[in-house]
Amino acid sequence: MPAFRSIRKRTKRKKLNNAFELQLTSLIDVLVIILVFLLKSYQTSMNNLSTVPGLQMPISATLDEPRDSHQVIITPEGITFENERILDFIQSPDSAGATEGQYAFNKSDLKEDGKLITPLYDALVKAREKGELLRAKSSARDAQGNPMPFDGILAITADKRVQYDTIRKIMYTAGSAGYKIFRFIAQKKDT
Amino acid sequence: MLKRPSSRRNSGDGQITLNLVPMMDTFVTLIGFLLYTMAFVAMVLVETPLPTASPNEVAEKLKEKPLQLTVSFRKEETEIWSPFQKIAPKVFKNLPDGGLDLKGIHEELVSVKKQFPKEDHVVLAPTGGMTYENIIAAMDSIRILDATDPAIFVKNEKTGMDEAQKLLFPQVVFGNILGSD
Repeated sequence: MPAFRSIRKRTKRKKLNNAFELQLTSLIDVLVIILVFLLKSYQTSMNNLSTVPGLQMPISATLDEPRDSHQVIITPEGITFENERILDFIQSPDSAGATEGQYAFNKSDLKEDGKLITPLYDALVKAREKGELLRAKSSARDAQGNPMPFDGILAITADKRVQYDTIRKIMYTAGSAGYKIFRFIAQKKDT
Repeated sequence: MLKRPSSRRNSGDGQITLNLVPMMDTFVTLIGFLLYTMAFVAMVLVETPLPTASPNEVAEKLKEKPLQLTVSFRKEETEIWSPFQKIAPKVFKNLPDGGLDLKGIHEELVSVKKQFPKEDHVVLAPTGGMTYENIIAAMDSIRILDATDPAIFVKNEKTGMDEAQKLLFPQVVFGNILGSD
């Protein structure tokens, strides 16, 4: 009799192993936590501003969120406008790994006593003309029926080591190309 | 007399296993979407217009001498002054580590704001060697009124009510774009 009981128990154990179910509850818990975290840090505003690898942005306590506009990015290596590298700074052996950028311009890239950056000016004028053409073709009109005026906004994203002398040249160049408002982009301070 | 319920039919343990697989599918899809569209670097902006001057505007402004609050950053110091002597100039030496005395500058600007609560323009004149990081830090201390600062009220012309100011001097203009050091 005891021998029969033992066989019965063995078959019961086998059945239990076959009906094994994965416990998903703990996995669901983890997913919910990740989902809540992502939703909390999700930004609703969308803009087309980009960054480049290696760019160290300064931190600002301001709360104004960036909006779409033309963008110029200044890194210790060069200047990028609308995701296209338009100018390279002169690199010296000392500038590799330097804590402060060199930002030395080629003399051929500068005009008007070194205040105007020619490649940037050309790119800005081209972008302005394109914008004006699109506005002329657009159905949006002002009260007098004229095409909407060019907004002339330029977002400046710069490496934190960039010096004011370089930014001043960019603002002067942009002003000459018809851009009247500058938006300095920074990284949001954690609150 | 009722029939006794079948013991075989009711022999189950009564537990219902919730099918969590579709829920998990939804969560995984949502997490993938959020990760794909997420901005890992939150960006903010500080807006500044290009200074323009038409002769008519300048003549109109100069009828009554404006404050024209100016902050000049030099190699070793920062000066807060007014070209029309509306305030006494004040100089702040840089900190021993070479950084700006942002606390001192901010406190002085708060006291200027108390004198001229309706003024919201400030002219910056940095040196060519000032880094972008220092410019942004200086603009923050010039533009933003901290929660610990004394409250500054300005009368709203429309409502006639006193309103607490949230910003110090938010309209920042660079005064030396055309010039040099």
